[in-house]
Amino acid sequence: MNPMIASFLILAGLTCASALAMAWTKNLLHAALAMFLCMLGLAGLYVMAYADVMAVAHLLIYVGGVLILILFGIMLTHTPRTDPYDVSNDLWTKQSGRFWALSISLSIFLGLLWILNRSMASFGMLSGEIQRSSKLTYLGLALLTEYSFAFELAGIFLLIALVGATYIAKHHE
Amino acid sequence: MNDIPLGYFLIVSALLFSVGLGIMLLKRNMIFVLMGIELMLNAANLNLIAFSRQDDQMQGIVFSVFVLVIGVCEMTVALAIILQIYRHFKNIDLGAEKSRF
Repeated sequence: MNPMIASFLILAGLTCASALAMAWTKNLLHAALAMFLCMLGLAGLYVMAYADVMAVAHLLIYVGGVLILILFGIMLTHTPRTDPYDVSNDLWTKQSGRFWALSISLSIFLGLLWILNRSMASFGMLSGEIQRSSKLTYLGLALLTEYSFAFELAGIFLLIALVGATYIAKHHE
Repeated sequence: MNDIPLGYFLIVSALLFSVGLGIMLLKRNMIFVLMGIELMLNAANLNLIAFSRQDDQMQGIVFSVFVLVIGVCEMTVALAIILQIYRHFKNIDLGAEKSRF
């Protein structure tokens, strides 16, 4: 087994195992930790797909931004415990029935595997050469020339979303 | 050479998508559901990146940048809405007795 495949398998195992742990646990904080591990594994998978820029951006945004946001959300929406001397962990969450969630997601997974298995032959017809070089230069040039309008639009969209989020989260008396 | 076959990425992303869907259906807490949605979004992103490996225009990577931006916007706005719901109902469980969603 060559080292590329081995490291891919380790990263994929980390990603899938932490995603399954997210589904398994009932503790919200443990789920946030599992999501952190899942995002780390995904960034590694992006590196394996030769998309180094996206790996760094993904780490910065998800581990640095979204996860902190989720932790703040958990803290701010935390129901205070009734007994102040009870030091047990009370971040447990409720669940709906397991049967429907498990059966729907399992059947979607098996269906996706079936589709992938059937279309695996046609992926061989993808003619392009695999680009192993760093994508940083190309992505920077493409974002500021070919996709400049969409890039500026995304910036304005981010600004609007942030202003809107702060306005919604404000105390309205 | 030593490249990972495309199918491996697709299998990982299929598993991530279905686990995200399962979390979305299983959990009652709104933040939990949001994390499931985020997992599904990242599964789609992994597909885009895996396919754009063989594209010399790299359109998939550029598109995944925009997907990342939209995902972050969705997350901030949704958490703000959850915060207001918590202030109003003192509860963020979907289908709870108090909030009646």
